[in-house]
Amino acid sequence: MSEFILNVIHRPEMVPEYSATVTGHGKEEDIGDKKLLTESLDIFRTQQRLAHENGLKVTIHMTYAALFNKEAVEIAKHDHETYGDEIALSLLGLPCEEFREKYKTKDFCIWMFSIEDKKRIVDDVFGKFHDIFGFYPESTGSYYMDADLTNYIKEAYPSVKCAIATCWEEGPKAYHTCNNSWYTLFDGGPWAPWIPSKQNTHAPAADESEDSGIVAIPHLSRDLLACYDGNGSNFGTHPQNVLRGMIYDTKTWEFPYLYNLIDQYRAQEKYNNGYAYNMMFVGPGWMNKMGRWEAPYELLLKSYSDGCKYYGDLKKAGRLTDMTMSEFADYYRKKKTYTEPECALWRDILYGSDKQVFWYTDPYMRAGVSMDQGGAVFDLRPYAAKLKWEVGIGTKHVQDASYPFLIQEKYRAGYFTHYAGEGTIRSAKLSYRGEEVDLCLCRTKAHFSQEGSTRILTLDPVTIEFSDLKVTLQTKEYFEEGRGSIRIERTILNMSRPDASVELNEYMTACYGTTEYPEDMSGILLRCEGAEEKAISYEYRCREESLTGASAVSAVIPAIETKVSMTASDTALGYIKEGYAFSPMFTLGYKKNITDKEVFSTWLRLEKAD
Amino acid sequence: MAQAGKGRLNYRCPSCFMRDLDIDMFYDKEKDEYYCIRCQYTGNEKDVLARNEMVRTRYGAMNKRYTRFDFD
Repeated sequence: MSEFILNVIHRPEMVPEYSATVTGHGKEEDIGDKKLLTESLDIFRTQQRLAHENGLKVTIHMTYAALFNKEAVEIAKHDHETYGDEIALSLLGLPCEEFREKYKTKDFCIWMFSIEDKKRIVDDVFGKFHDIFGFYPESTGSYYMDADLTNYIKEAYPSVKCAIATCWEEGPKAYHTCNNSWYTLFDGGPWAPWIPSKQNTHAPAADESEDSGIVAIPHLSRDLLACYDGNGSNFGTHPQNVLRGMIYDTKTWEFPYLYNLIDQYRAQEKYNNGYAYNMMFVGPGWMNKMGRWEAPYELLLKSYSDGCKYYGDLKKAGRLTDMTMSEFADYYRKKKTYTEPECALWRDILYGSDKQVFWYTDPYMRAGVSMDQGGAVFDLRPYAAKLKWEVGIGTKHVQDASYPFLIQEKYRAGYFTHYAGEGTIRSAKLSYRGEEVDLCLCRTKAHFSQEGSTRILTLDPVTIEFSDLKVTLQTKEYFEEGRGSIRIERTILNMSRPDASVELNEYMTACYGTTEYPEDMSGILLRCEGAEEKAISYEYRCREESLTGASAVSAVIPAIETKVSMTASDTALGYIKEGYAFSPMFTLGYKKNITDKEVFSTWLRLEKAD
Repeated sequence: MAQAGKGRLNYRCPSCFMRDLDIDMFYDKEKDEYYCIRCQYTGNEKDVLARNEMVRTRYGAMNKRYTRFDFD
């Protein structure tokens, strides 16, 4: 039976994040402005009403400021008793007079505080919550929850079992979109609920020993194609996102994109053992009476009203189950195993391109595959390393909470580069009599299937045309649960000249980083493993080595404690390539001459480096 | 000349929006025009709205309702 689960979350922020630059423009800052507080509460009430009118349960994320507001507390208690809403505690919405006075800072993102302050603030807000409600919350959250923060909360307040813990691909792209003024840098996480590891929030736990003790949910459910290339805040299951992206008809105020987005998430149950998930999380800031961006208040109200109605109608039709966050955590624990991956086969629903991508996440990796580039892996995060990556003041990463990539085609190019050098991608090239074709130029579509615990992508065959030879090739990609590997199988279905032989070059060009800018590659160790081992310690000297029959070709990247390797199904020439300053990459690969009907597989493996 | 302020709504710069930059514009009452402090765009409300429609041309399927999400 398929299930589509929805979490609706409202956050009674007393001083909305945008108020200083929008409603407060031209005035001296007044964090205790009574008019602002009254309007914020009115908006919260409206949001609650719209959800309840449509039969939807809400998780109310009380902010620190809301805990000082009797009216907000009364609304929460009333709606808990009347509608079954969960009263939870947000670590967003810290700013208020009481917080400023106590902590003497304007910082408001919990993951950016020092670990000492994180603990102080958590104790403060959890204690205040307990004073008011008489119990500790079961759910909490922020835009991002770093592992140290989560571990502390779980240790001190074991009742917590669910948390909003990241926002999918909210990183440098969001930063740039906000004119480099919005410091939410946490690319590289899951897009759907997961159990975070104790070591790193983004990387799911592989077993009980790694289990942080919470079920994490993403902040909104975001478009898995549009968000990778653009501003995440334009393409999510928050009506404001859709308005912010100007994705509505200005004459009719209709926005079918939001419903396409919700429906595409519903369709993901096909790839996840009958389960799909959505999350809608709103604060009051976007719905203020002055309008937001180009949208007047009436359109803001309509968008949330219509959004709630769409979910409500799905519920009435028996196609949606609404849950509170803590109910969802219980459901998820029963439904999922640690190693079960989250899969998404996703198409473009906005630009009209028919592009299709596949996303895969498990405790060992997150990978993105582009069918528009012949099944190339265009994003790869080595979760197998379970990288300890402390964030906040006093650490090496005050703001940057992203999980590092090995491949990221937008930040480090992909197939296409300007004039020189290479970009990160895992693809293959076919060569024949001096001509070379990369499968990145072969547009195709994929079909999903599952055999046992292996998820399989079967791509429609593509034809490579050389001047006097046509080769029809099919790619299948196998994601083996619990193995930290991707097997890519190429089958030559047909050659126009059956006696011809072409060279297949399976390759991965990679580096590491979290932003667009290059990192120091010195000391990365490249190896052709086998009887006669060959190695290159990275010095930007453009060197290459190869070994016939290599048992593996590998790279150890000490900075991210990761080993990545490739192995082959048959004897082939393994090779390693060092980059140079203008192309700070490395390449691992295998070359093999193949003929008609031949099948050749390679495995990409990720491990934690010793 | 008096200082600029915010206009009737928080219009963003359409030129910057096309390069994925979300920047509120400011309003010059004397010239009745919005202007961007990041780039060189200036225009009245009518021009802003017209350019916002151009922004939407990137969304080729904005008004389409999808019923299938796979290619099976």
